[in-house]
Amino acid sequence: MKLAFVVQRYGLEINGGAELHCRWVAEHLKKYAEVDVLTTRAADYITWKDFYRRDEEVVNGVRVLRFPVVRPRDPQRFGRLQDWLVRHEHQESDELRWLDEEGPRAPALIQYLKDNAGSYDYFLFFSYRYYHSYWGIKAVPGRSILVPTAERDPVIGFRIFQDLFRAPRAIVYNSVEERKMINDVSGNHQVPGDVVGVGTEVPGRYSGETFRRKYKLSGPYILYLGRIDENKGCHKLFEYFVRFKRESGSDVKLVLAGSTVIQVPSHPDIHYLGFLGDLEKFDALDGAELLVMPSFYESLSMVTLEAWALGKPVLANALCDVLKGQCLRSNGGLYYETYPEFREALSLLLGSPRLRGALGENGRRYFKAHYAWDVIEKKYLELLSRMEKEKGV
Amino acid sequence: MEREKIAIDYDRVDVARIMEQIKEKTAAEAGSESLPSSTEAAPLSGIDFTAGQGRARRVLLKLMSPFSPLIKLFTLPVHEELRRAVLILDHANRRIDRLEKEREKLYRLQEYTKLLHHLCHNLVIEVSKLKIEEETLKTKARILEKDFESLGKREKALEKELLK
Repeated sequence: MKLAFVVQRYGLEINGGAELHCRWVAEHLKKYAEVDVLTTRAADYITWKDFYRRDEEVVNGVRVLRFPVVRPRDPQRFGRLQDWLVRHEHQESDELRWLDEEGPRAPALIQYLKDNAGSYDYFLFFSYRYYHSYWGIKAVPGRSILVPTAERDPVIGFRIFQDLFRAPRAIVYNSVEERKMINDVSGNHQVPGDVVGVGTEVPGRYSGETFRRKYKLSGPYILYLGRIDENKGCHKLFEYFVRFKRESGSDVKLVLAGSTVIQVPSHPDIHYLGFLGDLEKFDALDGAELLVMPSFYESLSMVTLEAWALGKPVLANALCDVLKGQCLRSNGGLYYETYPEFREALSLLLGSPRLRGALGENGRRYFKAHYAWDVIEKKYLELLSRMEKEKGV
Repeated sequence: MEREKIAIDYDRVDVARIMEQIKEKTAAEAGSESLPSSTEAAPLSGIDFTAGQGRARRVLLKLMSPFSPLIKLFTLPVHEELRRAVLILDHANRRIDRLEKEREKLYRLQEYTKLLHHLCHNLVIEVSKLKIEEETLKTKARILEKDFESLGKREKALEKELLK
């Protein structure tokens, strides 16, 4: 079987979101099928400017074909257009203009799909909202599998996506909540699909002690990993944490790692460490009392799964239905909507190592049952074999 | 107030149950939290320092003047509280304004929908009328056809009679 993974960016430098999800799945499925990755030359998701020079290369044993982006994105123009579209009645042509503005516009990639449709058994498209998925699925609908990685943001209501969600042969969802949301907005119940998600690569050795020594951290700390951004709920996290410190007198610290979009407040117990590599990330998780996940929009949250893989509990924002659902299904974390709930949940977790242990253990079991790589691979293979059978019929 | 304990079965941790208890606890706390702040604010806001008239008022103010820094000190948190309340009210007002605009839009949409409904209704009536008219015309055409046929037959019969 020959599979093509189609994604907006691809590379070892890109470590987050749908792109990393795609890379990991591609690398795991190469054991079972011949795998190519079809992507753009872009590395920056804000402008999509060409970054990679080579048209073809091998990344971790996977052949990658890169296509040029004909027009980089103008972030301001795109932002204005999106803002206007979500607030006003508009036509489908406006949405298509939005899609063009959003990019990454790589017509050569779409042409390649059309020309080579017969060379691959299936095309797996990652991220529903970009140019490559919309036009790509239209080019090869009968052989396409969509991995939407959709969050609850307003653009999912655009009309163009209703058709898109009905077009592919199958859909691989990240969570039950994502599946329900997409079913609700597009009525695509007839499109076969499965809730699969993604596994994670847990290193063989990790040490919280090494991490604490390196960054001179003493006492308990809670950890936030990811982009420090308003959309990720970080402003609320700062507000709640500072208030919690003031009211409770707790000695807990907040440790943050990831790229910054908003400023991290200057507070003696808030430590921003910059971007951490994969190994250090697990060291940081190992040393933490718990992972805090304040994000409003998540399609799965890989970092939450990583915390559970290490047996760490999670404190999540309940306003994100995926995070709340994951906490309830796993019994691996508490959640909050308001400050009093945040305070109570955090106090309870910090004050009870037994509860942290029990939640962490539940999380670990949940991770093993649903997100271990052998489970993920099996789900993908089952979906592909089901499609093969249907094709035969 | 002593905090209620949250019951946890550590052998079978149930997050939903823990969260229910946290929600109950914080809901009760939110209700009781609002009481002290209002009662604290009441005695200070109830004092009218400018009460009284003429001499008595002047004497009262003179007597109170050494305590004015203290009074200010006590009233400051009230000001802060009032300022916050005003901010919250302002925020709420803005939100109401926004919602009001949204409501107007929705009302307009509702009116358009009603008009569309009427239009559809009228169109259905018109189409029904046209259908009936079409049927009538078809019937008339059939009658005329028959008349035409019988006239043809009559013509042929008359022709035969004449030839005889």
